[in-house]
Amino acid sequence: MISTELKKVILKQLNLDDFDLQDETTAPQVPGWDSLNHINIILAVEEHFKVKFKSYELLRLKCVGDLQKLVDSKLGR
Amino acid sequence: MFGNFNLDKIIDLLKYNPNDPLIFSTSLFLFLFLFFLLFYNLFSKSKIVRLAFLIVFSLYFYYKAAGYYVGVLVLSAVVNFFFAKWIGSTENFTWKRIHLALSVIVNIGILGYFKYTNFILQIFSDISSQQIDPLAIFLPIGISFYTFKSLNYVFDVYLDTLRPTKSLGDFAVYVFFFPNLLAGPIDRASDFLPQLNQELFLSKEDLGKATFLIIAGLIKKVVIADYISINFVDRIFDFPLRYTGVENLLAVYGYALQIYCDFSGYSDMAIGIALFLGFKLMDNFNAPFKATSIADFWRRWHISLSKWLLDYLFRPIQLKFRNLRMVSNIIAIAVTFLICGLWHGAGWNFIIWGALHGFMMTISLILQTPKTKLYTFLRIYNTKFLKFFQIIITFHFIAFSFLIFRAPDLNVIGEMLDQIFNFFHADVFFQFVEKLPIIFGLMLTGFVFHFLPVKLEISVQKLIADIPLAGKAILLVVFIWIAAQFKSADIQPFIYFQF
Repeated sequence: MISTELKKVILKQLNLDDFDLQDETTAPQVPGWDSLNHINIILAVEEHFKVKFKSYELLRLKCVGDLQKLVDSKLGR
Repeated sequence: MFGNFNLDKIIDLLKYNPNDPLIFSTSLFLFLFLFFLLFYNLFSKSKIVRLAFLIVFSLYFYYKAAGYYVGVLVLSAVVNFFFAKWIGSTENFTWKRIHLALSVIVNIGILGYFKYTNFILQIFSDISSQQIDPLAIFLPIGISFYTFKSLNYVFDVYLDTLRPTKSLGDFAVYVFFFPNLLAGPIDRASDFLPQLNQELFLSKEDLGKATFLIIAGLIKKVVIADYISINFVDRIFDFPLRYTGVENLLAVYGYALQIYCDFSGYSDMAIGIALFLGFKLMDNFNAPFKATSIADFWRRWHISLSKWLLDYLFRPIQLKFRNLRMVSNIIAIAVTFLICGLWHGAGWNFIIWGALHGFMMTISLILQTPKTKLYTFLRIYNTKFLKFFQIIITFHFIAFSFLIFRAPDLNVIGEMLDQIFNFFHADVFFQFVEKLPIIFGLMLTGFVFHFLPVKLEISVQKLIADIPLAGKAILLVVFIWIAAQFKSADIQPFIYFQF
């Protein structure tokens, strides 16, 4: 389940009013989330949650659900 | 004695010959494949026998083109199988990294030795103005493809997104798999390996798609690409100054179509043949000339390579330097496209070709925001009107970049551009249509089919799927015959229009 907080950060970065982000949603399915924009989203998530990801952790991500899990694990949730 | 003579001839035909690889459009391949398919299906219930057949046939397929260098292929499979196994068997991150680094060094070392040694020697020779003779190094065919195929397995195991297979045999089938061994698609181990444990089952739709792809591939490769290459494009590229600008421009368009039909046709056949064997390979092309930008082109052209470069080169660099924001993207683009150019061949034209694509991607990245603002202001953002012009401009850039890709030396590029801009002679176009109706017809057909909606292609596939099996076989035979006619057709006489 994607938290409202994470969803808000992603949608704000993509200038989207609303988009149904599910666990299994992948980047290409979201308008504007292309390979170049990817770092802006990652940086926004890092800045908002005040966490630091390792490149290795980011390269493993397959879908938004994985990103949620990674954020949760960094926050000790 | 007569019998002996025939036997020798057959053995000769089946023996290693670097000039006569078993590419899919040769009659020898079709003949051998038919027998192979028969046995493959006879033993479809036994996974071991079926896969053993695949390994033996694939190794023969490679031997036919590369001789004893088949050893390099086997070495590549064994080395990467064990590196992945070691990476997967330890929890120690440093050990994982060391094994990954060693694997990359071995793979790139082998690839580099065979493909780039002479290019590097040439550069040294040019810089030091000392004559260094090139070494006699044989380039094992398809080495860039299977090296990248093996490497994606090692990378995925390292990233822990794929568990290493326990079976060297299964991994060997993945690396040796003859349909995509010589020219891709550079399939993913994570997609391919699970298919090895599935029972051989072909749905009506799979058979329809496979038949369609083989027919489409044959037409693209043999009828369009080979024909316009021999009878038109090559002649202009050989002596551009003998022809007017309009012919040079048509040759540039023709080469763009030729390289697309050649490469995507071969991929189509690879995917179709794999489907006949019960394996689904990844898509490799998606109407690339419909691209509205260079970035869009790379999402449609040689998809298996661009996705590989994106996942294992671009992303790691981009994420490593992500604090630099846009600059990290620019660094990642520059490195990725330089490597992309070099991957295609050891030559300055390939490096310039890659650099040019990287440069254009960077420019469009920098201009992205002002461009969007301008289009919104002009009220043309996301309109068909804008897309039409974007497609035309992108196509011309792509065609120009392929001119660099194809030109035997940098002078030819200058000569062709000079003819196009200073000696155009538009009137010669009508003579071209009149004197070379087949070339013109094939080019027109190629481009028109390219721009047809994808839905139409899917409908044709469904239509073929509904034909009974015997009908599909007849359809294939008819198109193989048509392709053979084009293959054996006499080389068309060529006229120097300007004289």
